Amino acid sequence: MAQCVQSVQELIQDSFVPKVAVLCSEDAQKITRKNNLNFSELLRPFCRLTSEGHMRDSNNQVQVVKNLRISVNNVVTRPSVPTSGVHSPAQRRLLSEVVSASQPAEGGVANVITAGDYDLNISDRSVKASVPWYSDWRDTLTELSTSKHYTATTPWFEAYRESFLQSMPASDHEFLNHYLACLLVVSSSEAVPVEQFLKLSQEQHMIQHNGEYTNPKWFIPNTLKYYVLLHDMSQGDEQRADSVYEDMKQRYGSQGCYLLKINSRTAAAGTDEQIPDPWSQYLNKSSLQNGVSVNSLDNTHPLQLETAIDMPGSLDCLRAVATETKTTTVYTGVAAGTSHGACLTLNDHNRLRLFIQEFTFRGLLPHIEKNIRQLNDQLVSRKGLSRSLFSVTKKLFGGGKVPEKSIAELKNTSGLLYHPEAPELQIRKMADLCFLVQHYELAYSCYHTAKKDFLSDQAMLYAAGALEMAAVSAFLQGGAQRPYPAHYMDTAIQTYRDVCKNKVLAERCALFSAEVLKSQAKYSDAATLLIKMTSEDSDLCSALLLEQAAHCFINMRNPMVRKFAFHMILAGHRFSKAGQKRHALRCYCQAMQVYKGKGWSLAEDHINFTIGRQSFTLRQPENAVLAFRHILTNDSQQTATQQGAFLREYLYVYRVALPQLPLPCINSSATRVYFGHERRLAEGEKQAATHVSLDQEFDQDLAAVWQDLEEQVVAAANRGVVPSTFYPTQCCLNSQTDNLHFPLAVVEEPIIVEVAFRNPLKVPLVLSDLSLLWKFTLKDFSRPQPQDVMVGDAVTITNEKEAIAPRKHGIITTEVIPEFFMSPEETRVARLKLLPRQTGQLTILGLVYNLASTPSTGDSTINSNSFSQNQGPSVRGRQDLEIQGPRLNQTKEEKTSVSHGPDRRLDPTITPPMPLLEVFFLQFPTALLCGEIRKAYVEFCNVSHVPLCGLRVASTHPDFFTFGSSSLATPLTPLSPTSFENCSAYKTLATPPGATPGSVTAVTLVSAADFGSGGGGVFGTGGKRVAEIPLGEGTLTPGESTQLPLWLRGPDQEGVHEINFLFYYEGAEKGGKIRWGDHRVLRHTVFICASRSLSVRATACRSNTLPEEEGRNGSMLVFVDVENINTSEAGVREFHIAQVSSSSKQWRLHKCINPAENKDCKLTTRERGKLCFRATRSTSKSLEKYTFADLSLGNEQIISSTTPCADFFFRRCQSSESWRPLIAVETQGRHSRSQGAGPGGGAEDITGVVRKCNEVDLDIIVLWKAFVVEDNKQVILEGQLHVALQTIGKEACSLRQKEEAQEMVLLKFKPELPPPMTRPSMEQLSHLIKTNLHYPESYSHSFVQKSLCMIPVILTLSNCSLAQVDAIIDLRHKTTSPESLEVHGSFTWLGKTQYKLQLRAQEVMRLPLRAGFLHAGVYNLGTPRVFAKLADQGAMCETSQQTATPALIIINST
Amino acid sequence: MAVCIAVIAKENYPLYIRSVPIQNELKFHYTVHTSLDVVEEKISAVGKAMADQRELYLGLLYPTEDYKVYGCVTNSKVKFVIVADSSNTSLRDNEIRSMFRKLHNSFTDVMCNPFYNPGDTIQSKAFDSMVSAMMVQAS
Repeated sequence: MAQCVQSVQELIQDSFVPKVAVLCSEDAQKITRKNNLNFSELLRPFCRLTSEGHMRDSNNQVQVVKNLRISVNNVVTRPSVPTSGVHSPAQRRLLSEVVSASQPAEGGVANVITAGDYDLNISDRSVKASVPWYSDWRDTLTELSTSKHYTATTPWFEAYRESFLQSMPASDHEFLNHYLACLLVVSSSEAVPVEQFLKLSQEQHMIQHNGEYTNPKWFIPNTLKYYVLLHDMSQGDEQRADSVYEDMKQRYGSQGCYLLKINSRTAAAGTDEQIPDPWSQYLNKSSLQNGVSVNSLDNTHPLQLETAIDMPGSLDCLRAVATETKTTTVYTGVAAGTSHGACLTLNDHNRLRLFIQEFTFRGLLPHIEKNIRQLNDQLVSRKGLSRSLFSVTKKLFGGGKVPEKSIAELKNTSGLLYHPEAPELQIRKMADLCFLVQHYELAYSCYHTAKKDFLSDQAMLYAAGALEMAAVSAFLQGGAQRPYPAHYMDTAIQTYRDVCKNKVLAERCALFSAEVLKSQAKYSDAATLLIKMTSEDSDLCSALLLEQAAHCFINMRNPMVRKFAFHMILAGHRFSKAGQKRHALRCYCQAMQVYKGKGWSLAEDHINFTIGRQSFTLRQPENAVLAFRHILTNDSQQTATQQGAFLREYLYVYRVALPQLPLPCINSSATRVYFGHERRLAEGEKQAATHVSLDQEFDQDLAAVWQDLEEQVVAAANRGVVPSTFYPTQCCLNSQTDNLHFPLAVVEEPIIVEVAFRNPLKVPLVLSDLSLLWKFTLKDFSRPQPQDVMVGDAVTITNEKEAIAPRKHGIITTEVIPEFFMSPEETRVARLKLLPRQTGQLTILGLVYNLASTPSTGDSTINSNSFSQNQGPSVRGRQDLEIQGPRLNQTKEEKTSVSHGPDRRLDPTITPPMPLLEVFFLQFPTALLCGEIRKAYVEFCNVSHVPLCGLRVASTHPDFFTFGSSSLATPLTPLSPTSFENCSAYKTLATPPGATPGSVTAVTLVSAADFGSGGGGVFGTGGKRVAEIPLGEGTLTPGESTQLPLWLRGPDQEGVHEINFLFYYEGAEKGGKIRWGDHRVLRHTVFICASRSLSVRATACRSNTLPEEEGRNGSMLVFVDVENINTSEAGVREFHIAQVSSSSKQWRLHKCINPAENKDCKLTTRERGKLCFRATRSTSKSLEKYTFADLSLGNEQIISSTTPCADFFFRRCQSSESWRPLIAVETQGRHSRSQGAGPGGGAEDITGVVRKCNEVDLDIIVLWKAFVVEDNKQVILEGQLHVALQTIGKEACSLRQKEEAQEMVLLKFKPELPPPMTRPSMEQLSHLIKTNLHYPESYSHSFVQKSLCMIPVILTLSNCSLAQVDAIIDLRHKTTSPESLEVHGSFTWLGKTQYKLQLRAQEVMRLPLRAGFLHAGVYNLGTPRVFAKLADQGAMCETSQQTATPALIIINST
Repeated sequence: MAVCIAVIAKENYPLYIRSVPIQNELKFHYTVHTSLDVVEEKISAVGKAMADQRELYLGLLYPTEDYKVYGCVTNSKVKFVIVADSSNTSLRDNEIRSMFRKLHNSFTDVMCNPFYNPGDTIQSKAFDSMVSAMMVQAS
């Protein structure tokens, strides 16, 4: 609360002191002038008496007068103050100066009041401490809370009160301000001082009694005249002065005169002696008289936010005021510089003090004592009569108690005035005298009596005065004799204000009352009273009172913090209206502490806004900016107009160089950084590689795919090992990428930063000259330098300076966006480009831009003033990009605490030039039939200044494309002419004329290594998806471009396929020590829509015909089912099977068994065709080489062993190996083992051996042509489908079978037992031996001649396996099948009925048998049962071998 | 009928404020905020022991020139403040009580919403419409 320096008692005492007038002669004035003072001023510092005085009251009791002060004033006859009860403008000005001069001292002890949950810092430092940074404020508080708590002082209020009370005009209804005595001062240098005294005395008498002058009011008719002879020690004759004084003593008595000697020091004596200057503190205030024109600024309601419509004007106005106040303070400083009392020594000071004492005790007090006694006597004599008379008449006519009458009824009598000598006033006069000499008890009773009288007379002004003083004197009596009559005060105030319309008196009364109430801890009453006293008349007064009221609220037992804050705001508003800017700001800042961060955003905004404005006018732009920042960054609930006003105000206030701007909000974590040029997607018919662009959304899965591809290609490039320094290339960084490493940017290649802006306001924003702010450290990477040294001596360059006035920079070209418009509440991204021109370490700091607001066109309130400046004020500032890294969550420590990793997105390292590849695709299709082969071209272009080499490509679909094999690049001759016509992707040969289609078999032997593309070694190491790109010389020189053919094959699966290519390349001079100098990559993604074409199914089965060649038991039938499953949307008319080729290490297609009647095998929609082929074992001895056999069904032969066809075949093999790896590997292993170790392996050996004999490993390639109508033109599409036959009897399909749904696997709780030793199944074992019966198909026999017909039959047993097999042939066995149970159908085998044989690996054995027939007929000879077991497996029982197809023989009877 | 209805959290930040003359919103915010002092005073006036039996309705908090401010505190120390026009003499204590009861019920419904995060500002439409029904219909 506003704690006063004085206590309340002192305050009241000092407010009512005996007043003494001064009349000075001319000469006397001259003497005092030497000290820059007049006589009354000279005395003022000594007016408080240090010793006690004594006087006797009417009852002759001694009364002690303590600490008395008298007031000495020059007689001013000019009626300066009208008694209308309102302050004159001059007085107002004075008061306002007093208040503005009294400011909280900077750096004073801060006071913290803890109220509830609030810690309030109501300190003199408030302006500094409560700037709207919560954290700072908090810090200040904690720092302060350790120190002792003080209560707040409000010195400006005290100053105001003091000068207010001093300026109280003397009024008729009370005598406290009337002059009790008059000092007549005459110089001793006067010729005849006594005459001068007489003259002055007459003058005084005239002033008092002439009636001409109303102003100086005199207490008692016979005013005490005290004659002072002033003697100037420096010039006057002391003896003469003494003699004159003696004369005076004779004349006026020793108690009525005094000789005062001053000016003992000459003015020229020098300033060696330092004399204290007690005058300065009394006189400064009056010297402030210089006028400050107080602009009453805005008469708006305190709780109404001024919309900034009139803003520019009002701000100018505010500034004007600010400057004016400044000049005033300067003036004050000058005034304080002049010294007073230059001619006075300390001795003189003592003399002055002594004089006052002498005057008071000898002259004044006895005079007062005498008068009191006189008045008392008068009253006592009058009492009996008047009292009784009055009371009787009143009882007769009044009919009721007068004091009980309400104030309202008394209004009409307020004008009543008594004659100054009226008897009613005598008692009041006596009371006042008693009061002045601190005889409060008597004073109270007198006041009380007077009050009754006045009330009964309905003289309200007098009554109010008496009431007020009664209350005050009751309070001053102290002790517990009489409780303080608070209602007296209330009544007095009310009367003064409402009845008498005297605001000044009411205010005085209220000030006292409030003080008294406060001293009695009745804060809430005091507050109410103070608030009641606020009015529209005086802003300053209201402001001060409101502030005091606010302090009262906080001092209550339960501090009312919010009321405090609210009234502080009201006070602040009134202060600002009264032109007290600093006080206003202080009030708002104090209130801010309560509203801060509590969610009352509207109020907070209002306060911040006001603080901002006030700070601005007080030349505290930092605080203003902070305050405004606060409004603008908050989640504002304000309306659009209000926000617009805030923004304009903010921009107007804003004058600091390149400061942090609050708008628009930047979502730092959404910042994306892209390295490299922006790509053109298409150039003519060329289609550029898609690579990465900022337009793409980041996809975690996709990123993983790319990273995987890159890893593979890097591994392939580094001979199968991924280097430990490998780090996936990231061209576009965002919040989800791994930003732990410094990203790499290449010199002369742009860096694009995408910043996400959000406009939180409901008004549009315009950013102009938007560019990036960076810091750059130059580094030369070409010379190897130790890393640590570089940090120290490196030169760091930044563009912060240039950012204020943007211009081109030599090191890094910074792109500037001229204008960037943001609609209300819009989220928008801006892409900003940097082009580094030298190598080094770059750090992107933030953004720099001009922020401006646009006047919204729909706003009708905008007047012409603000339109004149078409665009609102704009300000250049920056905003930093600070990206918080991801939360660390690895170790326990990191888990428990919140720590974040680094994010180096914005700190790219600029590396030396690196090659830059651009890839264009020509004639690249978007839709293909499954298996379709299309030829496209790809252009590689080195756009950098550095040669490029080591070009490789990795893809998610390696079987989708091929660059052809370099080894077979030379075309085979002759090419058929049609291949050119149709632009066939295949190399074709014309079929030799006359040859039957399907019978010609061209056989080529090809090594897989030729088509491996990456070399055979790569296959095994997981680099399957990587292919080297056959460049001419292996390098691309700068600017060079090469076009290469590229064959594509439609994916086997229908649907849309996303195919990713990753082109890998490296600089020509490899082996630099820089870790990043390794490689670069280029990404490309295509989407291919595959539609269904043909479905090919193939089965192989053993041929039971006799092997044609000796020693070769390999002969097989291959059935190929081709179905057109095309759904004709693509306009495919028909498919032709052009050729069927085989590729295998062991087998080859031999010939077509059923050549269709029509030459080509045509398939229209949903048609199905069947082709049968005979396959034989190839003669090639080379195990690694593949045999390609082409069976052309058309008129031209496609050389399947050359580029597109064979390439895709091998690629298909690679990819299919990935999903049937087990078999392939196992087979190989088994194979080698059974050869090396021979028989004697375990059970698993058997499995392999057994399985081996069923294996085929033959791949069928179906080459087709599709006739497609496209834009009324027939187009021939070509394609190929692959079927891999693996096992005899098992159907294989060109379409990959869908894997069985694995979802419903039984949950196993026990660990799965290792699978038991796999024994070859019966089914598998039954394929060990192939049997064949050779016999004449029909045989004529004359049963008449010979009843038994014997026919030789040869049973061929061929061992399919690679192991020795024991076989048992049992002829006795009768088939039990019903069809063989015919009555006649039986025949018998003749001779041995059981044979035991042993067959070596792949041995073919012929066993001659004979069959005997008794009747003619058709017989099935296939009855011999063959049992076989592996020779070395003794424990195993023989298994019955699969019987061949029924062998029918026709026996004709002749 | 009320001109301003506010719900204030235990920690004395506003959960919901709605006032009818929109242009004077700031004034109502100040009024409501200041009334919290009186609320606190009234709560603390009742002794700790009596706190359980304390009536929720606090009655007239204080009158200003134009408005009357009524308050109510739930057991969880959530405050409801209703500001009514002084000129509206038809508004009796009973009506105010029933308004508070309605407000309280509706507030309870809001709190029962599992998607409502206690301590967030109230954005419930149902609550809003209930409040609007209690407000003076702006002409």
